[in-house]
Amino acid sequence: MSKIFTPTNQIRLTNVAVVRMKKGGKRFEIACYRNKVVSWRNNIETDIDEVLQTHTVFTNVSKGQVAKKEDLIKAFGKDDQTDVCKEILTKGELQVSDKERQSQFELLFKDIATTVADKCVNPETKRPYPVSMIEKAMKDAHISVKPNRIPLMQALDVIPLLKATMPLERAQMKIRAVLSGRDARKLRDKVAKLATSLESEDWDGGKLNLVCLIDPGHYREVDEIVRSETKGHGLLELMSLKEVTEGEELLE
Amino acid sequence: MRLLNPQKLNELQRNPNRVRNICILAHVDHGKTTLADSLVATNGIISPKMAGKLRYMDSRKDEQERGITMKSSSIALLHNKGGEEYLVNLIDSPGHVDFASEVSTAVRLCDGAVVVVDVVEGVCPQTQAALKQAWLENIRPVLVLNKMDRLILEMKLSPLDAYVHLTQILEQVNAVMGELFTSEVLGRTVPEKSQSQIDPDKASSLLYDWSAGLEDADDSHLYFSPDQGNVIFASAVDGWGFGIEHFAKLYADKLGVNEKVLQKTLWGDFYLHGKTKRVMKGAQEKAKKPLFVQFALENLWAVYDTVVIRKEKDKLQKIADSLNIKLTVRDMRHTDGKVQLQALCGQWLPLAKTLLDMVCTKLPAPCEITEEKAEKLMCSATERFDSLPSDTQKLKSVFMACSSDEDAPVIVFISKMFPMERRCLPQYRSHPLTAAEIAERREKTRLQHAQRLAQSETPFSVEGTHLLSSGDQMKIEEQKEQEQNDADAFIAFARVFSGTIKKGQELYVLGPKHEPQSALEKLESGEVINPDLTLKDLKSGQHITRVKIDQLYLLMGRELETLDSVPAGNVFGIGGLEEHVLKSATLSSTVACPAFTELAQVVVPIVRVAVEPTHAQDMAALVRGLRLLNQADACVQVIVQETGEHVLVTAGEVHLQRCLDDLRERYAKVAINASEPIVPFRETVVVPPTVDMVNEAIQDQNTASKDGDKENAGEVITLSTSNKHSTIKIRAAPLPTEVTSLLEVHADLLKAVDKHIHSEAGQQNSEMFEDSLSESQMVLTERTLKAIETLKEKLKDAFSSAGDEWKCAESQIWSVGPRRCGPNILLNRIPAYDHPSVWQRLRGSDRRLEYDSSFVNGFQLATLAGPLCEEPMMGVCFIVEDWTLAEETQLDHPSSRSPGSEHNDPSAAAKPGSIPGNLSLSACQAPSAILPESLLSQPYGPFSGQIMSAVKEGCRKAFQARPQRLMAAMYSCNIQVNAEALGKMYAVLGRRHGRVLHGDMQEGSSTFTVTAVLPVVESFEFAPEIRKQTSGLASPQLVFSHWEVIDIDPFWTPHTEEEYLHYGEKADSGNRARRYMDAVRRRKGLAVQEKLVEFAEKQRTLSKNK
Repeated sequence: MSKIFTPTNQIRLTNVAVVRMKKGGKRFEIACYRNKVVSWRNNIETDIDEVLQTHTVFTNVSKGQVAKKEDLIKAFGKDDQTDVCKEILTKGELQVSDKERQSQFELLFKDIATTVADKCVNPETKRPYPVSMIEKAMKDAHISVKPNRIPLMQALDVIPLLKATMPLERAQMKIRAVLSGRDARKLRDKVAKLATSLESEDWDGGKLNLVCLIDPGHYREVDEIVRSETKGHGLLELMSLKEVTEGEELLE
Repeated sequence: MRLLNPQKLNELQRNPNRVRNICILAHVDHGKTTLADSLVATNGIISPKMAGKLRYMDSRKDEQERGITMKSSSIALLHNKGGEEYLVNLIDSPGHVDFASEVSTAVRLCDGAVVVVDVVEGVCPQTQAALKQAWLENIRPVLVLNKMDRLILEMKLSPLDAYVHLTQILEQVNAVMGELFTSEVLGRTVPEKSQSQIDPDKASSLLYDWSAGLEDADDSHLYFSPDQGNVIFASAVDGWGFGIEHFAKLYADKLGVNEKVLQKTLWGDFYLHGKTKRVMKGAQEKAKKPLFVQFALENLWAVYDTVVIRKEKDKLQKIADSLNIKLTVRDMRHTDGKVQLQALCGQWLPLAKTLLDMVCTKLPAPCEITEEKAEKLMCSATERFDSLPSDTQKLKSVFMACSSDEDAPVIVFISKMFPMERRCLPQYRSHPLTAAEIAERREKTRLQHAQRLAQSETPFSVEGTHLLSSGDQMKIEEQKEQEQNDADAFIAFARVFSGTIKKGQELYVLGPKHEPQSALEKLESGEVINPDLTLKDLKSGQHITRVKIDQLYLLMGRELETLDSVPAGNVFGIGGLEEHVLKSATLSSTVACPAFTELAQVVVPIVRVAVEPTHAQDMAALVRGLRLLNQADACVQVIVQETGEHVLVTAGEVHLQRCLDDLRERYAKVAINASEPIVPFRETVVVPPTVDMVNEAIQDQNTASKDGDKENAGEVITLSTSNKHSTIKIRAAPLPTEVTSLLEVHADLLKAVDKHIHSEAGQQNSEMFEDSLSESQMVLTERTLKAIETLKEKLKDAFSSAGDEWKCAESQIWSVGPRRCGPNILLNRIPAYDHPSVWQRLRGSDRRLEYDSSFVNGFQLATLAGPLCEEPMMGVCFIVEDWTLAEETQLDHPSSRSPGSEHNDPSAAAKPGSIPGNLSLSACQAPSAILPESLLSQPYGPFSGQIMSAVKEGCRKAFQARPQRLMAAMYSCNIQVNAEALGKMYAVLGRRHGRVLHGDMQEGSSTFTVTAVLPVVESFEFAPEIRKQTSGLASPQLVFSHWEVIDIDPFWTPHTEEEYLHYGEKADSGNRARRYMDAVRRRKGLAVQEKLVEFAEKQRTLSKNK
């Protein structure tokens, strides 16, 4: 049976997003349009009338209780409704609307995918994966995005998860370390342990010139080893941030 | 019933005079495959009743479903002409534009072509293309005017009208031929003329004017004319066709006119004078019926009228009797008039016989190859035949002889590789078992049974497990075999031009880039071609492998028959060459044989899509599939882009669809997605514009900006590292264009220099104070050094011509980026900084040198991803005005260090958390540089990293302080277009922001060649659109050419009066750069300056559950 329309005795607010602010022990609310407040805050929307339903400050929007003038003066020091509204808009607690949340989520998701694609390569070809493939793999792996963590950290979390479903590897960093002194050999072993592969190794009168690929996660450690243990004799140079095959190639 | 048995075949193949290699060419849907059907039916391969419905040559599923042919396929037919037997190798070709490459593979192997034209539609674009292709390959065409039945039944023309219509169509076709002829003659006279100026002796004989070239050349043999016997009127669907000689013969007896006279006059403006019974000229003038109408068309019309339209059965019998045709009772009883018509006409005017007769008489045999064609095959138009080595030139006579003797050198050309399911190959086909085989199998099963019994008796014995494992092994092997059977085998589609190719023979495989000259030299110098080499192992410059011929096949449409040898002049298939041939190749017994010239490609692939597997783990399968596809299709390109995308380039939409289907079901066998490929952009800065969007001069509201110093101040960005120990002043400026292009061209060189300096830099020690360049000279080759010098010179010139501002800039270059070889420059204008330039490695004793690499890395990072949409920068110069490291004493870090050490060891403190690396400095600082562990973990990370990020930020800010622009990759677009479609083509170009550079008319033809540039972003779907708009009369070719600045600020919105007037307040349509930038940003998940909802009031206001 189809749904029968029954009139409700409660009239709901539609197309309204409420922004609240507590100031001077009082709660103030303003009525805004949905999906507009974030645009206003990002300075994308400049027309105040497109954001505010009405230039009135309420104590409770859904009940329609308007804030008293003396309260406004007490809390904000002014009684111009529009000015107060603007202040509440920029400082108040925001009720994020559906589209805003969705677009935020999408941007974050894409950002993570782009970061992953940027940081990883296909170990077979040493070429990056296209972002769209990473996105698909992330969706397949049911990766959820957390809105309050920075995308870079989340991307680093995602990489091991994706490794389970596709051949994926962090793009290696190419570094050059110059070691000298008595402990050079000992240090070399330490660095070599952290490196994934050694590209070249030159001993020149007790001085070692070592070019190797390392996982970007180990950069700090290598840096620290070279710095602290050589007591300033070593030199660490970053040759390239990621080793990938460059240029176009015709497949034959 | 098969007419062709192996013995007869062999006999016929040996006699090149009795072999005809022909192909059918036409526009799409003009009836090629139907025509092929009726020819196939004569050999009893399919039933004549099914001819025209079955489309036997369309063996693919999608070909049958779509009703268009997508590949060229060959079939060998036997034809008996007046007691002489002929072997006809018929190649059916596709008519759709997208598969034009298949047509060229077919045409290459043929000596003659049957051009089919639909009499209703007339000459269509592909008809022209087909004729042109036949012309380019020097093969002789004959004409079939098809679908005559449509004139009668659909258009309901009277015989006289139909005659006029037919003459018009014939004229159209001949006009195309004439055009081809004139353009070639004109093309030929131009080089001759230019030559004549060089050679004064020849000049006297060759001095003639333009018209003379045309008049001298005889063109009468080119044209189609029924009285020459190279035109057939046909209806392939109804199975009939005739040339005029049929009626000439018929009426010569009846009228008592000489047959030859009748043959000449039956087509044309002639009529029969009623009383005198004489053939007179001028039928049109005197309003008489031309002979053709009277004798041929009216009879046909009468037959159609009675049989199909009025359905008079008794009359049918009468007609049949008068034509001496016996119709079966079954046909007579049939209610469908069409069937009766087919039965009647099929016997009266059999299409296949008429056509094959014409083919055998009019088209040349393989041994009649012309000298011209032989030369054309052996060397391309750009080089001269005389330039080939003498051994190779001798081969021309071999081509001409077409001998299949034992001692004749073998020359085979492979025009394409086509896939065939392995189990369809004759050697895998199931055949009845012989008695011995049955016995063997029985024995095998008995053994297996016994084993199983033994196993069950001693389940735990070692032997049992061993047996089990062997059983498993067998299973695995079987599986493997199964897989192999499922996989496709590639068959080479080939023709022998000379000699006889035999099974087990060893031949050279010469790749398309093979050059006899160099190969012969190599051979002389004692280089041996390793027989084990395959295509994969070949290095660049090597194009020869050796192969043992494994399998030879006779191509029978959908099927193959094995052969033991193939003599010269035949079209056939070779198996087992997957490893040796990519797309096309030449097989020969001698290395002197040149690689055959490239196929004359009418279309080049232009529709680009990115393909990727639906499931990421299928990547490897996709790559394998793409390789196979690339081998199977001559007109496909697969490019792996820098972004990691696999881009598939195809000739058109239909072709693309076919390729994707093939990938999904045949080659990769995984689900794949195709999408628009990612288009790269570049970011740059420009000189502040002087006019706004409506060409009004910008008035400086900001009076301060007039002052040069203050303006600079606005652009210079001052930035400190997060721990405030270092301050950078940086400014961005657009590079002069010449410098940018120089850097772009010499990217490889710069990379080499950089690599060299890096490898050397490690060995710096106290001797480093010597000139570093002299040291490096020893390692870099002379040539590179010279190149570097010239590059320097060029840069100097470019800079000096760019103005005072760039004075001495070439020696101040600190680094180039991104990736240390890009088109951006980091310029060092730091006062009193003994800087290293790109040309030499680090040296000197400035403290700042330690952080030099961090500084450069920061610049590299900034140029790799600009602030607009994280795309690389291009043509930007970052000028570092100042860079200071705070004085040591100010550099306290009280929280982490004891005050005591601060005074004792100022230099170490200067670099908290960094590497005091330069040994030249170490004398003063190193011994005492003992840092407490706590220092290493600073709140802002290592100092080198801070500098890096500060520089990166500084560069980005400096970039943003200037007017920013987006640069788009541009295709240069070459369009061949017919005059009538010119306007529509311009419209398409305009809509896609293309710019026409120039358009020229081709001499002697009505086609224009238009050169334009088109942004790559706008090129998706460009080819289909232009084809649709111009009805296929324009064919574009796209090649990447350069980067171009889009001259709109991506952040521009109208703000002056005029701009408001011109663009309106919102300027929705105006900003192209903004649109591109937002698209890229959205793709990358960067914040986009865009309102989620444009109009707040116009939202759907109800919540979802109410």
